[in-house]
Amino acid sequence: MKHLKPLNNKAELLEKAVKEGKTEEVFQMTIVAGCTATLDPGWEVDVFGGVAALCQPMEADLYGCTDPCWWPAQTADTINTNPDWTDGAPSAQRDWRALQTIYPKR
Amino acid sequence: MRAYGKFTAMAAVAVIASVSLLGCDNELGKKEYLVTANKPNNLHLIDTETHEVAKTFLIPGDGAPGTVSVSPDGQVAYVITNHMESLVGINLDSGEEVFRADASYDNIRSKHMFAMTVSRDGKEIYSFQTPVRILPGEYQVLDTQIAVYKTDAGLDAKPVRVFPAPRQISVLAPSVDGKTIYGLGPSIFGFNAKTGEIESSHPLREWGRPDYGVPDILAAWPTFEVSNILTAPYFVPRTDKAPDAPDAMKTGLVSLNLKTGEVTTEDFENTSVLIFSTVQSPINPNEAYGVYTQLTKIDQKAHVVSNRIDMDHTFYAINVSHDGKTLYMGGTMDDVVAYDAATLEPKWAVKLPGGGDQGLASLRVVRR
Repeated sequence: MKHLKPLNNKAELLEKAVKEGKTEEVFQMTIVAGCTATLDPGWEVDVFGGVAALCQPMEADLYGCTDPCWWPAQTADTINTNPDWTDGAPSAQRDWRALQTIYPKR
Repeated sequence: MRAYGKFTAMAAVAVIASVSLLGCDNELGKKEYLVTANKPNNLHLIDTETHEVAKTFLIPGDGAPGTVSVSPDGQVAYVITNHMESLVGINLDSGEEVFRADASYDNIRSKHMFAMTVSRDGKEIYSFQTPVRILPGEYQVLDTQIAVYKTDAGLDAKPVRVFPAPRQISVLAPSVDGKTIYGLGPSIFGFNAKTGEIESSHPLREWGRPDYGVPDILAAWPTFEVSNILTAPYFVPRTDKAPDAPDAMKTGLVSLNLKTGEVTTEDFENTSVLIFSTVQSPINPNEAYGVYTQLTKIDQKAHVVSNRIDMDHTFYAINVSHDGKTLYMGGTMDDVVAYDAATLEPKWAVKLPGGGDQGLASLRVVRR
């Protein structure tokens, strides 16, 4: 392993596992990882193909869906990966400008 | 004269009784309150007589608060919070944290996933959990389970019993006799409250109704405490109709009687609006109510919508007063509103301190 340099998180975990003698616990991921594998169509369109049945206003729905990780692709995974995404912004309607884009952590 | 005197004495007793019960909503002299929670991690007790927030408590640690279940004596509210990792009990008089159960341990990451209830005797809490073993290169998804805690276990509570439970259970509700814990999921499962054995199963996803597809049930609001009937709306396609036919999608109500265990599923309209939560009237067995962006009154005898109004904004959660005269709505944003159950006219509203969103927080009705 001394001639190999890990390029991503997975490789770093493998290198760490080798050092700790835990290589048997390293497996290839075959499923979506994160708080849930759910990927619901969200605020873009409602069940009827329109927008009238979306929450009114849309912000009324934001934390009700984000906090239980309902739409992890559209908003942050606040129950595992980005628990502080809504810190300082308790009202989605009032504070939505404080919500920032997130990027994968290296 | 003696008869008159007797009448006078009785009247005097009645006056005294009415004075002593002034402001009370039942014979036990208890008042009705609402319990809800909002971001970042606040718990609120709302007085339904003064229409004010009587008490607000800060729940220790991270939010956001979600499912709420209140002890039968109305003294302690149990709240799922801390990114669903913790189940916290708060004394509703002092605000003291009296119970805490963290679901994760060692390399097991686990969540109190929506479904949670206090037992009828107030001695135990049942929580549906979704554990995952975090390995260096793998998330090992483990079987879902219901963990049982003693309510007097303090701030480092560990389960006294754990039993396997099917996936996707989103509401737990105890039977009136306390012997069964019902789980609303792909079916309505009846767990033996002591052993965890599944003693009954009423299919929903596999209900097999002729000419009907698979029902879609969004049930995240445990609102059964007033009528002892747990209800949830369902939406289902008809397989014998053209996709663009007006009756191609039907909306109905699934009801579980917590006294008898009886389950009914009844359509009441061609799907025209969404409904997130429903509640059964405690005084009229043929009347239920549902809310989302509209408030809907459902006639369960005629199987029709008997009234519907637009709300100022979307509400997730609905509940009803013990006298059946007032509907309470919360969830989503920072307000709780009360409407007349007969006319669907607004009665009063209250803003929650801090202005944070309630999101998925339960709106529970308690007498204390």
